Amino acid sequence: MQRIIGGSGLSLLQGSTPSPSIAIRPNSQVNLVAKSKPGNNRNPGQKRHRGLSLNPHKRVSKPQQSPQNTQHNTSQRERERRIEAFSPHQSNPAIMYGGDEVSAIVIDLGSHTCKAGYAGEDAPKAVFPSVVGSIDQMDVDDPGNPEKNSGSIPDSKNVVRTFDSEKSKGKNKLYVGSQALGFRRDHMEVLSPIKDGVVVDWDIVESIWDHAFRECLLVDPKEHPMLLAEPSSNSQQQREKTAELMFEKYKVPALFLAKNAVLTSFASGRATSLVVDSGGGSTTIAPVHDGYVLQKAVQSSPIGGEFLTDCLMKSLESKGLTIKPRYSFKRKEIRPGEFQTVDLDLPNTTESYKLFSQRVIVSDIKECVCRAPDTPYDESAYSNIPMTPYELPDGQTIEIGADRFKIPDVLFNPTLVQTIPGMESSAETAASVRGLPQMVIESINKCDVDIRRELFSSILLSGGTASMQQLKERLEKDLLEESPQAARVKVLASGNATERRFSVWIGGSILASLGSFQQMWFSKSEYEEHGASYIQRKCP
Amino acid sequence: MLMMHQLKFERLVILFHNLFQLLLYVYTKANAASGMAVDDECKLKFLELKAKRNYRFIVFKIENQQVIIEKLGTPEQSYDDFTAVLPADECRYAVFDFDFITNENIQKSKIFFIAWSPDTSRVRNKMVYASSKDRFKRELDGIQVELQATDPSEMSLDIIKSRAL
Repeated sequence: MQRIIGGSGLSLLQGSTPSPSIAIRPNSQVNLVAKSKPGNNRNPGQKRHRGLSLNPHKRVSKPQQSPQNTQHNTSQRERERRIEAFSPHQSNPAIMYGGDEVSAIVIDLGSHTCKAGYAGEDAPKAVFPSVVGSIDQMDVDDPGNPEKNSGSIPDSKNVVRTFDSEKSKGKNKLYVGSQALGFRRDHMEVLSPIKDGVVVDWDIVESIWDHAFRECLLVDPKEHPMLLAEPSSNSQQQREKTAELMFEKYKVPALFLAKNAVLTSFASGRATSLVVDSGGGSTTIAPVHDGYVLQKAVQSSPIGGEFLTDCLMKSLESKGLTIKPRYSFKRKEIRPGEFQTVDLDLPNTTESYKLFSQRVIVSDIKECVCRAPDTPYDESAYSNIPMTPYELPDGQTIEIGADRFKIPDVLFNPTLVQTIPGMESSAETAASVRGLPQMVIESINKCDVDIRRELFSSILLSGGTASMQQLKERLEKDLLEESPQAARVKVLASGNATERRFSVWIGGSILASLGSFQQMWFSKSEYEEHGASYIQRKCP
Repeated sequence: MLMMHQLKFERLVILFHNLFQLLLYVYTKANAASGMAVDDECKLKFLELKAKRNYRFIVFKIENQQVIIEKLGTPEQSYDDFTAVLPADECRYAVFDFDFITNENIQKSKIFFIAWSPDTSRVRNKMVYASSKDRFKRELDGIQVELQATDPSEMSLDIIKSRAL
């Protein structure tokens, strides 16, 4: 119902006749259009326009732009006006969303990326790193300098954006978002608010939320219920602190905390399943039964996407390759098609920022070339593997051979880390961690006998690292060998890469958009009456 | 006298209030549940299936934010008739009354609850059914075996038999 009307809205915008194929498809872009209206009505128009011109890259993928992609801001505004002009046709939310309209915001703050967006959509609107750049105000001598690095965006806008994105926290200035982190700044340290799945710095978390609300989604948190995804093993204090912040600082009308694993499980249509969530910072295995996480059987290991990225980086470095971050050189075209790179000397760049920029590149290499081997990695068997070329940002082409298979195999056999030069520091932690299949079996064995069969037959893969090629097949194969005879092992992962990567967010998005879910929210009045600890009862 | 009445009344109010709180607690306990309502007809027909054995199966669906009955199967219908009723790309709940003979040659029957959520169905559809299941299942008192199936092979007759025994 809602799609049909949203869809016709889209085709109206494009100036063509309503097409049924657009109308029925679960298309996030259709929703983008439909959703932008209530937002528009609530936000001051001026703010909206500012957002549009500030974040042009976020809009590029929108469908209504594709036909006229070459035109810029003026036509964007014109389209915006046209959207508003059409809004009277669709202003009745009951018609638009089949009565499901609650306009909630869904945020999944992971250890590596933060996913934020409007409930009811098929993919998060904003995906940005959940680390921030921090500059100690004492050190800053020339704040205008970093802005010069941005060639693509005119200065006037840039100033506004910087003004928006930096939150002065005491004496530290914080920079949040992919764009703000993309600029190198003198003395900027890159900090993460999360250590071992636990929030250690709430100031940074606040700045990330601020960024999501005010710059990415352009909403006033006072007006929208907030659904937050939380790690399966979140502690009581963490939950209460979250509730306190949300109600006291952001004054949200309602809040809900949902467990990552439960959302993933529901989004795949199962109330009972074993969720293997391999994310950026860690890998967590959580059994879910009838919508509850079985806390005692949750297993986790620090080996996630970032760990693999580090392994790959160290391995490449040991072969004499240096990954030059994008900011550290300039490329000039000397003759058509021929480039020259000139290294820049930037002595004030911090180590953590250099590492952050290098990780961005290496994680792209990893995503492009790596693939889980079908059988446990064996140095001799893979020594003659054909090399795969990859072109680095500075133009040099590197070739990656056995590492393509060796790095992903660390997930299955963490002791491999010891053979990677430069990773000695983590070798000890890695040695104490078991491989993925062993963790899965251990987790299942800690559950009640009655549900083990069910868990074995619905193992769900989710998270960014789950998109690794052949990971699903390898895990299934290893589990078949190690599981009891009677068990019917089935590993499931959504065929759609977006769904796999954002399954938690998508689950939250749907849940929060259900009309019937409205009664489940932890409301502001309940918070005022019972206090933050009531969250344990409302969102167990 | 009036005082006493008033006192009694107050006590009643407190009692009802407590009961209400208790009920509220029971229903809001479910984790991340969708809060979907259940049509009374579902319970009634399920009771008929359980006690009078009037039906072989019942297929439920969610519509307008509540669980309603979609189809009722007569006692003569077979398991194949039942699976044919389930749509290939949409989720459903179903209850099936399964007759079988045990290894000791004893005629028995068991009531199955099946959560049908095919992989090909839309994410939203799956989410709605999965998050409402726990609450709905609790309404149906007397389910003996529970099954979740995402493709026909997960609810084949062999699996049903093996779960029944």
